[in-house]
Amino acid sequence: MNEERYILFDQYLQGEMTVEEKNSFEKQLSEDHEMASEFETFKDVQLQLKNKFEHDEEREVFKANLTSISDKHFNVSKPKVVLMKPWYYAAAASIIILFGLFFFDYNNPTFDDYNNPETASFVERGDSDTNLIQAQAAFNDGKYDVAIPLFEAILKVNNTPEIQYFYGVSLLEESKYPRAEIIFNELIAGTSVYKEKAKWSLALSKLKQKKYKQCKEILQTISQDYENYDDVEQLLDELD
Amino acid sequence: MSQTKIHPDQMYIEGLAANDSAIIQTIYKKFVPKVVMFVMNNSGDKEHAQDIVQEVMILLFNQSKANTLQLTCPFDAYFFLLCKRKWLNELKKTSNKGVTINEDAVSINESALELIGHTEEFDEKQQLFDTMFQKLGDKCQELLKLSFTIKSMEEVAEKLNVTYGYVRKKKSLCVGQLTQWIQEAKNFKSLKNN
Repeated sequence: MNEERYILFDQYLQGEMTVEEKNSFEKQLSEDHEMASEFETFKDVQLQLKNKFEHDEEREVFKANLTSISDKHFNVSKPKVVLMKPWYYAAAASIIILFGLFFFDYNNPTFDDYNNPETASFVERGDSDTNLIQAQAAFNDGKYDVAIPLFEAILKVNNTPEIQYFYGVSLLEESKYPRAEIIFNELIAGTSVYKEKAKWSLALSKLKQKKYKQCKEILQTISQDYENYDDVEQLLDELD
Repeated sequence: MSQTKIHPDQMYIEGLAANDSAIIQTIYKKFVPKVVMFVMNNSGDKEHAQDIVQEVMILLFNQSKANTLQLTCPFDAYFFLLCKRKWLNELKKTSNKGVTINEDAVSINESALELIGHTEEFDEKQQLFDTMFQKLGDKCQELLKLSFTIKSMEEVAEKLNVTYGYVRKKKSLCVGQLTQWIQEAKNFKSLKNN
């Protein structure tokens, strides 16, 4: 990487050059086409970073709101009501009961069937980080709403895949899907030991939102070496 | 962008940018059913349609936040075409089967096409940026996040417990790394297109 060049770009943009330096920089730009193009990209990247972080919180709030409106929109479309004559009801009811008996076991699987968050044990003996200790305790007690802000504080100083994973699981338990899925996707893109676990959690997130098809697609990407692959197979069976 | 008059439907864009639930609901009610129909008639299902719509809404939110979205045509045509093209691209990516595109007979006006071009370019740029940003190390990501949320670099240095000089240099290099990767991707793309 051309380190000197990028430092120069930044100094120029921050207005930290002397007049001579500035003139010589601008002259260089006008002569070196490749450098000029790179400078444009550099400015563009700064702008994108600004946009990304300036609206980060707003964007998350928007996404959450959008998801809830969208879910409502897509689930309210109930089938049309057809008026039936009274004796049809009796016939229909008995058929429904018969079907119910036959297909009772064929209901869609639910998130609760598979929701067994593991016990967190990231605090080591002698650890004195109170956030860490409290987060672990809250997580293991199922107080996810308490654990979430603690994890956020920890991640600011110590961003490890392990903490990210437990943070993601807490978000999922609290049904904060968009944020949870961002975390899981980051872990999936990485190379940590939490990669396969994150895929499983992402699949569970889809299951909880009743997005069965997406759930299945994610399950199919999980490696057979994943420690709880039995669960994966079982859920895949039930989704079929 | 040209100085063409802004269409009154700009209110939908502004509603999205302001996270106005009433406007978002109206968009779902008025414009989304057409998209669902299209996706379902073209090898997709409701879930796919829901995802495509959500992606486009987030894209419009981002573009309007970057202040580069000014509607010069009706929202209806613009929104539908964006969703449609996104879905067809998705199909191309996932299936090896040939995708038949049923071009509608309705003529689409020029400014709508131009606008869609801008939005798709914005989308592409942002996706490239996001991918590259994820490639950065944690240290760089954290430092950039702080530098662009807390405006003063002195404060950033204090927060990270390092010197001002170090933060400044490191920030230039992190932005530089992103620049280099994005530049390489661009060069590769222009090679491919030539």
